[in-house]
Amino acid sequence: MVKTLSKEEVNISELIDRPWITIVWDDPVNLMNYVTHVFIKLFGFSKEKAHELMMQVHNEGRAVVSTGTREEMERDVQRLHEHGLWATLQRDDKI
Amino acid sequence: MSNFEKVGSGYSLDLTLDEAQILINLVEQLLELLGEGDFFHHYDSNNLDDPLAQLLAMPSEIVTPDDPVLLRLLPNAYADPEAASDFRRYTEPQLRGSKQRNLRLVREQLTVLVDENHGGVIEELDADIWLKAINDLRIALSIRLEINEDSFETFELLPDEDPQKSVYAVYFWLGWLQENLLGLLL
Repeated sequence: MVKTLSKEEVNISELIDRPWITIVWDDPVNLMNYVTHVFIKLFGFSKEKAHELMMQVHNEGRAVVSTGTREEMERDVQRLHEHGLWATLQRDDKI
Repeated sequence: MSNFEKVGSGYSLDLTLDEAQILINLVEQLLELLGEGDFFHHYDSNNLDDPLAQLLAMPSEIVTPDDPVLLRLLPNAYADPEAASDFRRYTEPQLRGSKQRNLRLVREQLTVLVDENHGGVIEELDADIWLKAINDLRIALSIRLEINEDSFETFELLPDEDPQKSVYAVYFWLGWLQENLLGLLL
């Protein structure tokens, strides 16, 4: 016989190992060239990729710049803050 | 007019005395805001009585800054206040320290010009440190000026006698300076 677990005992969202993401937010101060430069420097992106992400931040107000474990994203956010970019981390909303 | 130049494998910056004085004043103001003393000077909560916290140099709590400039320079890493506060406790001293180090280095290089009371060329500057320091100065001014997409127009329409006019001018000059250095790097 199998005992059915209560709803509280089964938390689906905790069981799915969703990655964490680092988001860079748009602001009216950071220069476009500076943001591109920081993306190349911190993430090793090509000039084209860095420019594309910078434009996404500029046009859409935000862009996901890295994905990984929570510890990795915390490190990325800290490095972005050291460069004056406005960044946050969170669990990826998509499953 | 000031100018960054690529010299061999490094960079130099040519400044007039006025420009050097403006820059060093801004750097001093931001250093004052960030706090200039040692670690416990900024994080002097009651944990000084706690031998373990003292030993680990880890404050029991770091409050989120009230000052909007500090909050922008030392921002929350999480939307969730509890996660943000926890992250701040472990990382803010390091972030603050990194900004202070950049500004101190820039101040050190400017001091020579200002002390000798003339403009001139700063040789062998670290482009990355200068970029970050100029960026932090621009961020600080932008919060005080409430910079938005239309600010250049606002600046142009301000009468010359408006005291804010010169602050705007410095803000846009710093942007030009930063763009100038970026042009050599990208």
